Amino acid sequence: MREIFDRTMRRASRHALLVYSILFFAFIYAPMMIIIVYSFNANPVNMMSWSGFTFDWYRTIFGLGTKLTEQTMYVESTEQLTNAVGHSLIVALTTTTISTVIGTLTALAMARFGFRLKTFYRVLVFMPMIIPDIVLGIALLIYFVTIGVKLGLVTIIIGHCTFLASYVFIVVSARLAGMDQTCEEASADLGASAYQTFRRVTLPLILPGVIGGALLAFIISMDDLVITYFIAGVDSTTLPVFIYGMLRRGIKPEINAIASLMIFFSLVIASLGLWFRSRSSR
Amino acid sequence: MALAGTRKRVRLAGLLSPITILLTVFFIAPLSILLVYAFLEPGLYGGVVWNFYDQNFGRILGWADGYYEEFDPVYFSIFGRSFRLAITTVLISLLLCYPAALWVTSLSERWRSFFLFLITLPFFASLVVRLFAWVLILKPTGWINETLISIGMIVKPFDMLYTEGAVVLGMVYVFIPFMFLPLYASLEKLDRSLLEASGDLGAGRFKTFMRVTLPLSVPGMVGGSIIVFIPSLGNFIVPDLLGGAKVLMIGNLIEQQFLEARNWPFGSALAWMVMVAVLLFLLIYVTVVNRAEALQEQ
Repeated sequence: MREIFDRTMRRASRHALLVYSILFFAFIYAPMMIIIVYSFNANPVNMMSWSGFTFDWYRTIFGLGTKLTEQTMYVESTEQLTNAVGHSLIVALTTTTISTVIGTLTALAMARFGFRLKTFYRVLVFMPMIIPDIVLGIALLIYFVTIGVKLGLVTIIIGHCTFLASYVFIVVSARLAGMDQTCEEASADLGASAYQTFRRVTLPLILPGVIGGALLAFIISMDDLVITYFIAGVDSTTLPVFIYGMLRRGIKPEINAIASLMIFFSLVIASLGLWFRSRSSR
Repeated sequence: MALAGTRKRVRLAGLLSPITILLTVFFIAPLSILLVYAFLEPGLYGGVVWNFYDQNFGRILGWADGYYEEFDPVYFSIFGRSFRLAITTVLISLLLCYPAALWVTSLSERWRSFFLFLITLPFFASLVVRLFAWVLILKPTGWINETLISIGMIVKPFDMLYTEGAVVLGMVYVFIPFMFLPLYASLEKLDRSLLEASGDLGAGRFKTFMRVTLPLSVPGMVGGSIIVFIPSLGNFIVPDLLGGAKVLMIGNLIEQQFLEARNWPFGSALAWMVMVAVLLFLLIYVTVVNRAEALQEQ
């Protein structure tokens, strides 16, 4: 009797857990799905009340002709949007390059050398990831204004590098920690110089970690809002700051289309990145 | 030998100098200036006067002279609300994630990595866009109200946007991967044989969970809580978009000091208080984890 009761309970709880978990993942994905679906909604007055299928909102953001009347059109200008995307790409690519180099060098130093200030460096490198981004944002704003640097793309790039180098450091360190050092020793024993060993042995071995770190840095840089918000100049708006500004001024259907495109692209890039990482770690 | 030592030192210096320069010039220096600013006098029309001035903290903590600067308990209540909302966010995301993380650990290797992939994926989608989705869902003419009206369940739309609940929902939504991953990591590490032993010794599933699973997952729970707590406490994007002017948090207050009121010293003082709160919580975390590890080793 008790056994039957136990078994039924166990099965019931397993089913409850399954149903709950499906709801949990639905909660995570449903809002994004809703945005994508309603970005094709033709209703110009209430964007969440479905009245037919249209591509018009996508056409407006690319500056193509639409059937919409002048009043319902909103996009301030396609040029502003493309500028923002351009700025985001310039910042993200530069930041990724710089922070990947710095983060990797730091990871190598920490993994391959013993030195007195090691604990200090470990804490120091962790700090930019730990402090709230609003604090780092305003600290950089005050700093740049005090030393007289004009706010613009350069300040955004510097700001992103301060915390992204740490992210790259973490990813590359994880790779180095799981790595066999005997290959490097063998290379040195066989007479290779330190540079040759690095170029021919170490680098190929840590490359998946470096690429993973770079991808992470790229995505975080593309998406950063808070720090960029404070240290972006008037004419160096990035995509997240641009969208945030649009949202603050009022919600228009075009934002739906832009948002859907952003979700789509970031999910594709992230999927590729994660897939690549899971392949290379095997 | 001495030569090899020197060469090694040069190499180490080469590897470490980029990060040292980067963090000294663009991290330590800005934070130090932030601290200096917190003790400077705000100028009449923005800007600062280079005088030592303790009234910025006085306005928040209560020793303002009441002449130039006034102590206002509203700052305490905003701090209080920020802590309350951040802690609620942590607790709700912990409760939401725990069962799901437990379920994922029970799956086969293949499905596990699939669901881990699903949980990390939204982290890469733009934060503003994910919050914007909730604005569209919650607003009076939003998805929930429109759907309920169209199926005839309600007649009048009800207000969900611009409430504390909306802010907590938004923060839970954007930070949920941060809670899930550490939780999952600690549950996955759990030694299965301990659970079996507990069952063999006659403990029921509930008892096993309470006495074995739950205590052993404490480091993951605390870790996830800290990672969710830190960005929640100083947040200004979520309360700005989902809380409106009604639900102010410290983040909004700081942002206003910088971009509207142009009182940078006061904003710096507020920012340092957030920093100190965060560091205190981290200290607690490190202590708890160290103690838990010491317990496990025994």
